Amino acid sequence: MKSVKQHSPLSRLVNSSLAFLLLFSLSLSAQQTDVANGEKLFKANCAACHKLDKKLVGPALKGITDKREQDWLIAWIKDSPGMIKSGDKLAIQVFEENNKLPMIANPHLSDQDIVDILEYTKGEEVAPQAAPATQEVDPGVERGKQIFKTNCAACHKMEGKLIGPELFKITDSREHEWLKAWIKDNNALAASGDKLAKEVQASNPAVMTPFPQLADQDLEDLLKYFAVGDVKAVAVATGDASSEQIFNKPGFGVLPTLGVTILAFLLLSLIVAATTNKKVEEGEESTENMLKTMFFNPFLRFLTIIFVLLGGAWFFFGWLMQIDVNEGYQPIQPITFSHAVHAGDNKIDCQYCHSSAKHSKTSGIPTANVCMNCHKSISEYTGPLFDGHTKEDLDNEIQKIYDAVGWDKDKMEYIEGYEEKPIEWVRIHNLADFAYYNHSQHVTVAGLDCQKCHGPVEEMHEMHQFSPLTMGWCIECHRDTQVDMTENGYYKNIHDQLAKKYGVEKVTAAQMGGLECGKCHY
Amino acid sequence: MKNILKITIALVFLIVLSSCWGDKSKPNYQYMPDMYKSVGYETYSENPNYSNGMTTQLPAEGTIARGNVPYEYTDTNEGYETAKLELKNPLEISEANLENGEKMYNIYCLSCHGKSGAGDGVLVEREKFLGVPNYKDRDITEGSIYHVIMHGRNLMGSHASQLTTKERWQVTMYVQQLRTELLK
Repeated sequence: MKSVKQHSPLSRLVNSSLAFLLLFSLSLSAQQTDVANGEKLFKANCAACHKLDKKLVGPALKGITDKREQDWLIAWIKDSPGMIKSGDKLAIQVFEENNKLPMIANPHLSDQDIVDILEYTKGEEVAPQAAPATQEVDPGVERGKQIFKTNCAACHKMEGKLIGPELFKITDSREHEWLKAWIKDNNALAASGDKLAKEVQASNPAVMTPFPQLADQDLEDLLKYFAVGDVKAVAVATGDASSEQIFNKPGFGVLPTLGVTILAFLLLSLIVAATTNKKVEEGEESTENMLKTMFFNPFLRFLTIIFVLLGGAWFFFGWLMQIDVNEGYQPIQPITFSHAVHAGDNKIDCQYCHSSAKHSKTSGIPTANVCMNCHKSISEYTGPLFDGHTKEDLDNEIQKIYDAVGWDKDKMEYIEGYEEKPIEWVRIHNLADFAYYNHSQHVTVAGLDCQKCHGPVEEMHEMHQFSPLTMGWCIECHRDTQVDMTENGYYKNIHDQLAKKYGVEKVTAAQMGGLECGKCHY
Repeated sequence: MKNILKITIALVFLIVLSSCWGDKSKPNYQYMPDMYKSVGYETYSENPNYSNGMTTQLPAEGTIARGNVPYEYTDTNEGYETAKLELKNPLEISEANLENGEKMYNIYCLSCHGKSGAGDGVLVEREKFLGVPNYKDRDITEGSIYHVIMHGRNLMGSHASQLTTKERWQVTMYVQQLRTELLK
């Protein structure tokens, strides 16, 4: 720790310009991380009372480094009450200028921290990192990163706590050799009577896995990586066009049919009109307007009425047939859950989440513990954006899971005594209560693909109902589907008997009684 | 004649108008829904009778359903160590068990641990999850595998809600098989 010295104006100038030059000559990237650190510290320690450009409880801090000397500022920030007591003139003056509100001492900040904060108060933006990769290209760092990813990242992050503590710059606070021994086998190290090892073990409830398979060189590279850290990836990919809806909404195909019919009708009436027109001409009466003939021709009138009646009937029955058919039903869900991201991009099996499909009538909506299996460590969305959502939106959607279960993502633990709130998903596929449908006998026994009934769910960002789920739709499938009887011992005798009875090679679900009322309607 | 024409046109127009089920975010209308809505409370439905509004309520603590055996090793490091040493697979190693184990593994474990168990699943390749260990790098026994599926460990969550006891043992069996192959 530096002591506060009295300086002559000249040495002050020399010192500060030297410091400035020193800071400036440090590679830009290094300095900028300092500013970032300063910003972090400022927000954590100072922002309760200070703003950069405005007075809050304390004065505005922008440009404070031009007004006051750095050493004085460091001492002041560390222990302002002490300075006032010790009779520092400037300190007393500042104290009185600010309504005699004492500033809180910050003894926990190191000199370097304070320099960083002061650097931040200069108000310069944190510039995007100017290619820090150039500063030192060591292949060992890259190797170390690989080793970190495969071995350590399950429990550690470079920045921020996961199961274990953060590892960035761990090399600053622990000795090289100790770290190596610890990583190799922390239990052995503790057993050998190492004090620090025991302390660290006691401080963290989770036991660290030993890594005897890592060679010395591996450890060396790993530590290099810890010291240098990551080259921050450039902004996450912006929008992706692949998120378009691939499946058009199902419909009757009304418009094409209608168009063709109307065209045919017009053509017919034209022909009729043309022929009648000719006849009039032959009878040498005055030549009439074609349109007029068309309008007053009794045959065409008759035809029109027939057309309108048939068309009306067609519309009427079409309308009747779509009552209570919910094809395309797409309600707004409480969380923007995307099947396309989970089942499509990440290729998670359908049954991972809908695990009860294999044993139960109901293929349930997964409970939030299944979400948390992965989202304990995935608290940010990093994939391609879709449906006009921003990254913030999607991060917020993940936050909704945490709000439901009470997970503190900074501390990486469940909040104690949190009242969990169930996520109120909106059910899309609804059968009337008088129909019995059982998932397990279709999924496990018949081995149907999920997509057969639910459509290409892995391409749907927002889930919608793909099949009509009408009785005709069920029956159609039962008539066509041949039951696989080779594996299932239950069908051993039945198959032979039924095949003989119907005189067929293979038996469909319908022939096994899959169309009987009682099978589905009790 | 003209009247009839007008009436038909009006009718058709009306029907065309009403035939559109426009708002797909709401269910279609129904005609006399006599037995459509369940009288009883269905699985996963809302239930006004309970304070948390769910039909699914937790069973009383300490009760044991028929056919289930409670798992006695606790979710602690000691529990893990004892399970690792003591716990043995009650299933015999058979083709059928391994086959179903593989099926379950491919659903519940593949994403992270990879096809061969080398820690190279899709999620790892896409860098969603990092640090998934290779099975050969870890000193795991059937007891410890089962224990981890049951309770989870560190970042891996419990998969007890997704797999039955038997399936967990089958997966354990399959994981051991993968490990012996990796160790070769």
